[in-house]
Amino acid sequence: MRSDLKSGIFFLIISLVIIWESIRVELGTFLSPGSGFLSFGIGLVLCGLSIVLILRGLKIRIYQKPISIRVILALISLFIYSLVLEYLGFVVPTFFLVLFLFQLGQRRNWFLTIGISLVVTFLAYFIFGSLLHVYFPKGILGI
Amino acid sequence: MEILKNLIFGLNIVLTPINLLYCFFGVLLGTLVGVLPGLGPSATIALLLPMVFHGNPVSSIIMLAGITYGAQYGGSTTSILLNIPGEASSVITCIDGHQMAKQGRAGPALGIAALGSFIAGTIGVIGLMLFAPVLAKFALRFGPPEFFSLAIMSLTLVTYVSRGSIIKSLMMAFLGLAMSLVGMDPITSRLRFTFGVSALMDGFELVYVAMGLFGMSEVLINLDKSMRREILEAEIKNLLPTKQDWKDSAKPIARGTIIGFLFGIIPGFGQAIPTFLSYALEKKFSKKPEKFGKGAIEGVAGPESANNAASSGTFIPLLSLGIPVNPSTAILLGALMILGLQPGPLLIKTRPDLFWGVIASMYIGNVILVILNLPLIGLWVQILKVPYSILYVLIILICQIGAYSINNDVNDVLLVNIFGFFGYLMKRYDFEGAPLIMALVLGRMLESSLRRALMMSDGNPMIFLARPISAIFLVIAIILLISPLLTRKRIVGEPIES
Repeated sequence: MRSDLKSGIFFLIISLVIIWESIRVELGTFLSPGSGFLSFGIGLVLCGLSIVLILRGLKIRIYQKPISIRVILALISLFIYSLVLEYLGFVVPTFFLVLFLFQLGQRRNWFLTIGISLVVTFLAYFIFGSLLHVYFPKGILGI
Repeated sequence: MEILKNLIFGLNIVLTPINLLYCFFGVLLGTLVGVLPGLGPSATIALLLPMVFHGNPVSSIIMLAGITYGAQYGGSTTSILLNIPGEASSVITCIDGHQMAKQGRAGPALGIAALGSFIAGTIGVIGLMLFAPVLAKFALRFGPPEFFSLAIMSLTLVTYVSRGSIIKSLMMAFLGLAMSLVGMDPITSRLRFTFGVSALMDGFELVYVAMGLFGMSEVLINLDKSMRREILEAEIKNLLPTKQDWKDSAKPIARGTIIGFLFGIIPGFGQAIPTFLSYALEKKFSKKPEKFGKGAIEGVAGPESANNAASSGTFIPLLSLGIPVNPSTAILLGALMILGLQPGPLLIKTRPDLFWGVIASMYIGNVILVILNLPLIGLWVQILKVPYSILYVLIILICQIGAYSINNDVNDVLLVNIFGFFGYLMKRYDFEGAPLIMALVLGRMLESSLRRALMMSDGNPMIFLARPISAIFLVIAIILLISPLLTRKRIVGEPIES
């Protein structure tokens, strides 16, 4: 796994986008610097640094552990959570997220985790929703 | 006399029930995150940023400040008792602190850490109180060229001092700068880097970036690691250090305070590096250097004082120049801006209630901390027993709700999660978050001062070198940038602290 190579390419693409956009919004001159003046410089430097990183990545191989399945699952659950929150309201998605994350952290008795998740969801709803007046989305379920 | 009058003014602000409560919560939370490994003060401040939108400015800043210095107290507890540093700044405390605990001297180790912290913290606040207004007055002479060069120097310092490859740190700084420019150009009102996405029109808001990069990513990175923690039971008795302990510790505390305070002021150094310096210095000064590593109380007293004095020092550039020196102060600076305050040399003059309120709260906070810390050590050890597999769920949930609560918008939750993912990748591939967040906060100021300076000089870039203060800042920055090229030490990048 050549991690420097990958991140170098990623940043190279970003820097090209920055350069392109800077030219589009006008560079201006030293006398009257435009909207893209500073960002053009930033893009150029970033581009140069990315190339150095890529060259280094070609030379040095660093072994990188693959991303753990735990992190991937946590991220997927979080993205699903943020996408369904609006439609399903606060309570149901939060309960399932908490339940899932508890089980992901450490396998425990299901009844116990369902119980804890219910308590946590209720407490969060009570503390943030009722005491701190956060207006949670209600969604199609009305809760 | 002027100062005394101002301090009483500040105390009047703090000694109201609501501000005392905020101060108490701040230092309590600070201690808690200090105790908990894997959750640093910058992550906590980031996670609590949404609260700033709901509270009054002075109270909010008092609380957030409390977290930064409170964390320095908590960090030592786990270092000493469990050999697990709660923070980077208490890594060095493990060496002799834990040895002392093993020899049955956990009590004096904890005692001297807390009392040394108190002394250093208080002296640090005195220094802050005396220095910041003077520096602010001096900085009133700064024009756009000086601010541009100051920002450049600060960013260079942060990049230079941060861990790992300097190329990667530089890339993060430039990425942060580019991100800060997204949205509307304040001078021409032209949209840039928005790519037609309406959410980007206001630019990247610091709250979401900080919550994701510092808060969420820390939790995700910890998920990769083992969730089990070994807790050793240590009997704690005789918290008060003996006369001999005091004799051994007095000078290390004094030296640690000075080192910490001075390095705290310089951007990039933060709280951790002064502790390493203090430890090295004490070992050098000691008549019995062989004692170090085997439970020398000097090895606890010096570094623990250094990190507290440093956290007071970090507030000087923040409050007098509007320049952050580490991620915590960068996020605090962001909080000030969110609250509609103009950080910079005029802050002390225009908002004396904020400046003196925060200063006074630090005196009070340090007293609360020293009172809280020692009796509550048992409680902190109990909290450590809460498995991380439960704790992380609560942190994530608070983060999600916090992100939502700012604008009652679910898209913000998504944004925080995206930044969390990005922050996770960054940490995995050894990119430091500090230069990015600093650049993001300073970027707009840097751009506007660059453009204004160039207009001032009719397009002549030499203006930055022609004005002496600006030239000094730039020369320091250039030396810092060139030195790794000459020594070839930092290019490939060995971490300078582990």
